[in-house]
Amino acid sequence: MARFIAAIASLICMTSGFMAQPAMARPVSYEGGWTLIEETDRQSTALWVHYTVNPSLSLGWRTEWDRQNDVLFNGPQATWLAKRWFGENYQANLYGFAGAGALEGINGNPADREAAAFIGAMADWETRRLFASYRVRGLEGGDVDGSFMQAARVGFAPYEGDTGDLHTWLMVEVDHRPDAEDPVGVTPLVRFFKGAALFEAGWSVTDDEPMLNFQYRF
Amino acid sequence: MIRTLFISAAFAFTAPVHAQQMQHDDMQHEDMQHGEHDHEDHDHKDHDMEADEAAPGETVTLSRTPEIDAALAAGGEPAVAQVLGVVCDFCAKAMNKTFGKREEVAATYVDLDTKTLNLVFKPGQSLDDETIGKLVTKAGYKIAAIHRGEAVIAETAANAEAAQ
Repeated sequence: MARFIAAIASLICMTSGFMAQPAMARPVSYEGGWTLIEETDRQSTALWVHYTVNPSLSLGWRTEWDRQNDVLFNGPQATWLAKRWFGENYQANLYGFAGAGALEGINGNPADREAAAFIGAMADWETRRLFASYRVRGLEGGDVDGSFMQAARVGFAPYEGDTGDLHTWLMVEVDHRPDAEDPVGVTPLVRFFKGAALFEAGWSVTDDEPMLNFQYRF
Repeated sequence: MIRTLFISAAFAFTAPVHAQQMQHDDMQHEDMQHGEHDHEDHDHKDHDMEADEAAPGETVTLSRTPEIDAALAAGGEPAVAQVLGVVCDFCAKAMNKTFGKREEVAATYVDLDTKTLNLVFKPGQSLDDETIGKLVTKAGYKIAAIHRGEAVIAETAANAEAAQ
């Protein structure tokens, strides 16, 4: 039943007209775990499914629609947990990720299908009340002559929920895309987290574009 | 573009994260059956996972849920593992999934408030400390200490009595 609900929710997100980008909350799960991720931000929309091979590596498939440039990427992605720091009250992670596949024009963009690849890194630090993260990614291929983005996010939880409670976070993300019409974007958002599901909704105050992220862990 | 990417990546990789590598001696072995702990085939110092030491002398009690209580009533032995880095429900999900698959486990509950993994085994069954540690590592986390037996239940009962 839970898998069915997750599939329907993702389908709704995929067909809603908005779409995602690399938010990547916890991109490596527990050994043997599957994670379904939908990400929409002011630039693009992505659907990403990954399987955690071991606690330091997940392998998955990424489909990403860059709505600003009308290009679609399809290809496998590997995410590597390079380092995890544990504390009694915090966890911090450093990830590297890379993917390769095909990039093609859509929605009237005549660009032919060509090989493309991306590489990036992400770091986060989290307690039960505070959160901070940074991520960076570069993509090369096809007509995209070096798509670069970086984003930083901070957030806090107004209350501490226990296991299974609805957890609420208030966050702000600032992203930088040198090639975009508005190079710097600011997106306040709210994160709801319960059990195996995570949902984020925000609004880019610089672009008047939504942010909608969904994640479910099996 | 590539140069900008590398500069930004370098920034991310050098972001200050205050952590101390967990040393072997930092683990609380008071409730661990050290003889069952094989040191030849593993190393406590994971090179990609570091940990602060656990708070010493902390009172650890079994967190109670209906499933935990039912498993205790059936005669199962409890174990409480203090786990480092437990900050969200994904952490709980990971450990509940990992331990829920084990034949020996009758009930499992990850308590975010106490940062503990609470286990009750099926009657006559158990998991040794090393296995629990390995399973927690598979889930992506790290054990600080493991407490077993009557102590965790006695402490629970004492706390309940004190609360009255």
